[in-house]
Amino acid sequence: MIAIVFLLLLLGGAIFAAATGGQAVPVFEIAALIGAFLVFFGTGVYVAAVLGLLGMLVGLVFSDRPWWAFAGQTLWSPSSNFVLVAVPLFLLMGEILLRAGLSDRLYKALNVWLNRLPGGLLHTNIVSCAVFSAISGSSVATAATMGSVALPYFTDTKYSQRMVLGSLAAGGALGNLIPPGITFIIYGLITETSVGALYIAAIFPSLLVTGLFIAVIMIHGLTHKMEKPPALPLSVKLRALGGLVPTLLLMILVLGSIYGGYATPTEAAALGVVGSAVFAAIEGKLSLKLLHASAEATARNTALLGLIIFGAYLLNYLLTVINVPQALAGFIGGLPLPGWAVMLCILGLYIALGTFMEGFSMIITTVPVVFPIVTALGYDPIWFGVVVTMLVEIAQISPPDGTVMYVLQGMRPKAGPITDVFAGVMPFLGVYMLAVLLLMLFPGIATWLPKIMG
Amino acid sequence: MNLLASARSLRRGVVALATFMGLAAGWNYVACALFITVDVVGRAFFGVSSAATVEVTGYMLAIGIAWGLAHTLAKRAHIRVDVLVNRLPVGLRAWLHLAALALLGVFAGFCAWAAWSLVDESMLFDAHDNTSLRIPLVIPQGLWLVGILAFCLMVAVLLLEALLSLLAGQGAELDRLLGSRTLEDETAEALEAVEMARRGETA
Repeated sequence: MIAIVFLLLLLGGAIFAAATGGQAVPVFEIAALIGAFLVFFGTGVYVAAVLGLLGMLVGLVFSDRPWWAFAGQTLWSPSSNFVLVAVPLFLLMGEILLRAGLSDRLYKALNVWLNRLPGGLLHTNIVSCAVFSAISGSSVATAATMGSVALPYFTDTKYSQRMVLGSLAAGGALGNLIPPGITFIIYGLITETSVGALYIAAIFPSLLVTGLFIAVIMIHGLTHKMEKPPALPLSVKLRALGGLVPTLLLMILVLGSIYGGYATPTEAAALGVVGSAVFAAIEGKLSLKLLHASAEATARNTALLGLIIFGAYLLNYLLTVINVPQALAGFIGGLPLPGWAVMLCILGLYIALGTFMEGFSMIITTVPVVFPIVTALGYDPIWFGVVVTMLVEIAQISPPDGTVMYVLQGMRPKAGPITDVFAGVMPFLGVYMLAVLLLMLFPGIATWLPKIMG
Repeated sequence: MNLLASARSLRRGVVALATFMGLAAGWNYVACALFITVDVVGRAFFGVSSAATVEVTGYMLAIGIAWGLAHTLAKRAHIRVDVLVNRLPVGLRAWLHLAALALLGVFAGFCAWAAWSLVDESMLFDAHDNTSLRIPLVIPQGLWLVGILAFCLMVAVLLLEALLSLLAGQGAELDRLLGSRTLEDETAEALEAVEMARRGETA
């Protein structure tokens, strides 16, 4: 509820600022628009329709130009954009990997190396999720895949159920942050920043968050001592590394071709699809049925994103026609507030929105309006892209909403209340937010590497 | 009642069409991946490239999005903020579903009109793209329009059936038809996919 009020104040202020630039303030129209927004969202109208109809209303009320003449082009250009082609391809790759069962060997291999650390198998959860994230762009897919592999290992052990579920959910929330993530593609499309640069900028923040997660488990492991499993001879350990090979090869194929400058993210995604199909074939899992199911899920998830993009681009086009983002940026820039205070408000807004809104719709809806403010305040566009992605991930694991947590709850071998997952994820949620704060204090964590790599 | 039954079979017919179009959109992405891969490999090792990959796959994406829209609606997967709606009694909820669908219809109708005007313009100026293939823009934009029109059709038949079942006092029926996918649905899907990986193992 707070989130909606927050958003309405922002929107109202924006239109107010735009209108005061002219002559009289059309109070009635503004009130009507805000009312429409509230009614639309409150009554469960489709997000895309809310955005699109709001755009049409803005056009009819505030613009006297024939804005509808450009509507066709406004819808066509983003949906036929080559950058956006990466989205269905990464989705397809994730769907294939999800069904191919590569993750089992990955988990076993990592387990051999990590199980003697304080916290034991819990580390394997985080690290295998992190590695899997590097080949998959989806948090739900990561959590589902690794959860299905990991949970059986924990039955009849003394591990805290909460920590087990919490660490898997947290690992899933690395899915979009660790390159290649789909959130970065959408952000890059909207803000016209380079997706490749975003992927480079995300490297250190991903390591930071992963490191913090490992620290949480270390502390848990040291305070809840458990018997260590016997040490394995080195030869066994080395042989176990073989299980990592397919995953590492895919990682090199996708990320290597992007970082090495051989391929654009879209091309790397296409290589990834073919690569994961090849590994699925090697595992003996590639079938028409697998491809059919993957294709159907990809078509569906791309279409739902596409429809929201239609609505968002229409609204954004009309807001730009009547100068809202520029006026808003000017208005906020003129406030007697330091930049970091405005930024904290923006971060607060995202966390509030994230409690009830799904990540992609959140980015597509808010970034076109928020982005001009952020750049006007002098923040780096690439840095902001990383921060927004982290906030979306935080939203994925913040109770009481969050698909990742429900997926895990559905896979538990022993039934228990969903609050176990909520409680388990809390320490990870805390350090995730800490990482965002660290990024605010030391923006270099994200901006240094892209500068070096040019 | 008879009217409702025929509306229902009409909807089933359109759903069948939408499912076909959705699958076509999905396989279109598989083709897209192969096309780009061939192009990248060709460029890296043989120095040949179609020189039109960027444009053509862009068209494939636009068409894929449009052709998947109706199927996504039939699967109740288009995103809504339904925190409030799901807490309301079924009777009221049914009316809100209907209103949401009607508003979606208005938006879809506008998109179709906008797409049509774009196609019309491309026809008028006989527009081609800048690639060596000189593809007339009417072809991809026309296919894109077809998808959006199918989406409008899907909204229309759902609206008809919803209205009739509401008049016949079957609010709960309508809730099943239109209520958005819940977290349980999402979870069930992910689990099913994981199950597929498992089954392959034991087989």
